[in-house]
Amino acid sequence: MKANIEKIFDVEHPVDRVWNFLSNPEKVVTCVPGASITEKLDEQNYKGQVSMKFGPVGVKYNGQITIEKLDEPSHHMTIIGKGMDAKGSGSAGMTMNGILKVKEPQLTEVSYIMEVSVSGKLAQFGSRLIVDVSNQLVKQFVEKFKQELDNEALADGVSDTTEETVSTGGDTATATQAAAPTDTSTPAKDNSLSVFTILAAIIRGFFARLFGRKS
Amino acid sequence: MGHSMKRKEDARFVAGKGNYTDDVKLPGMLYMDIVRSPFAYAKILNINAENALKIPGVLAVVTGKDLEKYNLHWMPTLMSDTQMVLPTDTVLYQAQEVAAVIATSRYAARDGKEAVEVEYEPMQALIDPFKALNQDAPVLRTDKEGKTGNHIWHWEVGDKEETEKVFANAEVVVKEQMHIPRIHVASIETCGCVADYNKVENHLTMYMTTQAPHAIRTVIALVAGHVGLTEEKVRVISPDIGGGFGGKVPVYPGYVIAIAASFLIGKPVKWIEDRSENLQADSFARDYHITAEMASTKDGKILGTRFKILADHGYTDAAANPSKFPTGLFSIGTGSYDYNTAYMEADAVYTNKPPGGVAYRCSFRVTEAVHAVERITDRLALELGKDPAELRFQNFIKKEQFPWKSPTGWEYDSGDYEAGLKKAMEVIGYDELRKEQAEKRAKGEFMGIGISTFTEIVGAGPSKDFDILGIKMFDSAEIRVHPTGKAIARFGTKSQGQGHETTYAQIIAEELGIPAENIQVEEGDTDTAPYGLGTYASRSTPTAGAAAAMAARKLRDKAKKIAAYLLEVSEDDLEWEPGKFFVKGAPEKSKTIQEIVFAAYTNHPQGMEAGFEATHYYDPPNLTFPSGAYICVVDIDNETAQITIRRFVAIDDCGHIINPMIVQGQVHGGLTQGMAPAMYEELIYDEEGNILNGTFMDYLVPTAVESPNWETGHTVTPSPHHPIGAKGVGESPTVGAPPAIANAIVDALSHLGVTHIDIPITPPKIWNILKEKGVV
Repeated sequence: MKANIEKIFDVEHPVDRVWNFLSNPEKVVTCVPGASITEKLDEQNYKGQVSMKFGPVGVKYNGQITIEKLDEPSHHMTIIGKGMDAKGSGSAGMTMNGILKVKEPQLTEVSYIMEVSVSGKLAQFGSRLIVDVSNQLVKQFVEKFKQELDNEALADGVSDTTEETVSTGGDTATATQAAAPTDTSTPAKDNSLSVFTILAAIIRGFFARLFGRKS
Repeated sequence: MGHSMKRKEDARFVAGKGNYTDDVKLPGMLYMDIVRSPFAYAKILNINAENALKIPGVLAVVTGKDLEKYNLHWMPTLMSDTQMVLPTDTVLYQAQEVAAVIATSRYAARDGKEAVEVEYEPMQALIDPFKALNQDAPVLRTDKEGKTGNHIWHWEVGDKEETEKVFANAEVVVKEQMHIPRIHVASIETCGCVADYNKVENHLTMYMTTQAPHAIRTVIALVAGHVGLTEEKVRVISPDIGGGFGGKVPVYPGYVIAIAASFLIGKPVKWIEDRSENLQADSFARDYHITAEMASTKDGKILGTRFKILADHGYTDAAANPSKFPTGLFSIGTGSYDYNTAYMEADAVYTNKPPGGVAYRCSFRVTEAVHAVERITDRLALELGKDPAELRFQNFIKKEQFPWKSPTGWEYDSGDYEAGLKKAMEVIGYDELRKEQAEKRAKGEFMGIGISTFTEIVGAGPSKDFDILGIKMFDSAEIRVHPTGKAIARFGTKSQGQGHETTYAQIIAEELGIPAENIQVEEGDTDTAPYGLGTYASRSTPTAGAAAAMAARKLRDKAKKIAAYLLEVSEDDLEWEPGKFFVKGAPEKSKTIQEIVFAAYTNHPQGMEAGFEATHYYDPPNLTFPSGAYICVVDIDNETAQITIRRFVAIDDCGHIINPMIVQGQVHGGLTQGMAPAMYEELIYDEEGNILNGTFMDYLVPTAVESPNWETGHTVTPSPHHPIGAKGVGESPTVGAPPAIANAIVDALSHLGVTHIDIPITPPKIWNILKEKGVV
């Protein structure tokens, strides 16, 4: 099955810092819950792992990430990921197109479209959860990403906080994230998805739909 | 006969004392679980069982390569196609069996299954049956030598040229594209077995969920005869069954793997599917893409029909039709109407979906046929601006026209379609409802009335046309009356909830005068029951029920001889009333059946065989043609698109009724299973071949909560050729209900220009239509 995930959000950082971060898979991966890079094959290709739980279905994909396009002048990137479940219970693919736009010198708009396709056990049993879980993953990614950017800025001696707008579909939510002084040289140790956070989000999503509100 | 006797079998069911396959527990029994493919189409590069075998209790992991050594990796389907037991290199649908884990407990088997690592190389699945027919589509069945495409077979019936002529010259022609979606029988009990091979005796006892134990025994002997399991060495026992509906006719790979495992290990092996395996891998039903056309004069006289079908069979043709009928009895689709020109053709195709095409509570594709003809009849009424009831009355075959030869070659035995529809219209108050509908329409409210007046075809079947793998479709009864006048009767059929233990006893009671409660009915053990082809397609009453009557009549003839001997009169002087023979004109001189039976063991006439038993194999001279007139009233909320069945009247004509209470129960269940595909059920696959609703969380099965108050009734037109004039009823409501519901919903929206909606008709479908038409 296929799912499209679109996201637009602003970060209060100059475009160059955002671009440098996003174009480095080894940095990006620290923001993806459950993901890690196991091997750098060359500048464009990396081997990695992603572990996730979708309701009753746990998957652990071993795969490859390829940077298909990295165009700095237009700030446009295309990343392709493909993975097979370690135990042969399925496969997943992802194509992400991301664009950065300068809104103000200290304000950058990040927008991307991610096409995700899954086959196998996850599609069989977890399909009803994929969109909910993905949205939650994206939310966690964005939070972590901003935090890491703030940390970098702190390390560079620039102090700032971020106030931004996150939107998925028709929904608009505002989150305030205070910069936390963490050591950027070591990535967060436990970055797997919190089961309870996801469960809570799914339950919220269910009730929101039940009462006709778009979650 | 005609009495609402409570079901004899229910005592054990309501007390929780039924004996199902999963209740069978044998000493030393092992458990099997099956590793299934996550991909719809993939090469198997490697199967690594190392970690699985480390789990305590896991004894073996069986793969296709293991079975290949015994030439057991492929097996025939009931349609003479071939099916993998376990694959050696390629999987062709999601959830296909890949390997089997044998363990000492069910839990260890499941853990072992999770630990087997399979390396796949996925390939682009072929899901759309139309694309599968393209020249450049990859050939799925590369195992078949010389196969250059995915086309399976072509079938046609009727007069093509004459039909083309009629359509070319007709004043009115209507046409619709329909899809009868892929659905699942979803019985409460999933499939399973206990294979118990005894090495010393070289004997296999197979407890299994099968609707056709004798046929299965023959198939096992054909498949495994070369390893020594010849037919006398195989005993198939089909214990209580929790719903079959056609899904328990095929031979699934799991059964064969369990037999192979038991054969190799020498211990009993149990295999029971879980719910998702049942839903994802067992035979589906329907999945016909139909182009339906009807031609008429401008005043509404039907002149002809034409149907073109594309049948999606998944990766193999594993339907369970009689051999000569690849589309089953679809040719009944000319309907209840008097015209003599029709042409039907069908093509079947392979795709990367589970195999099947079983007759889900339907006599071999009759549901598809009836949906097509009843929908297109309503379409014609809409085109002509005629009331659909009036159009039907105008075109019905009249009761004096029976036996009636249909344009596709059937001889309808009897029927009175006018009487049925008249009764249904009276019960529901048709004219009032039409008035109400007009008023509601003026106010912008949606209300629809749908009719279905179907002809069924059941009781397969006469040996000249009907066989499965060459075995003729007769069925059998054996009655043995004990000295005290109580009896045991055994049959080649197998009840899955139909109530055979009661109805067969009632038939024998009627013919022989022994009270039904003194007749023990037994089915499902191939070592004791006479040979028969099992229970499906509403064939039990038409075949085995008839056999029961015939065997009882043989006994009555014998009873007459004994009575004449005991009363010292000539046989011609005797008269029968249920329960006794008496001398004409001297009713006080009589012998009861119990006295006669006792004499058969204690004082039988010289020259006569002792004992009191008879067997009959009944080969029906024709099929039976039950019919029905169903009317459904729906209301559709013009804001939420919620569909509510306000009323549903079902008038069935199944000939003489044996037990009205059982018939009513069958009709209630059947109507609910007819509502299911009309409004809820469909197996949905994405373009990769992933099933998107492979659990009961997502596959919607209606329950009592969703069911409306079914209003049932009868007309009675006996079958002229059946010994007791009965016709069979189990599947009629499942066949007749979907078009009645679909016609009602389309009728509610027809003034907006809606002419057809594919089932299942769900609120989102309606909402999209209302949106498109600018209503919401």
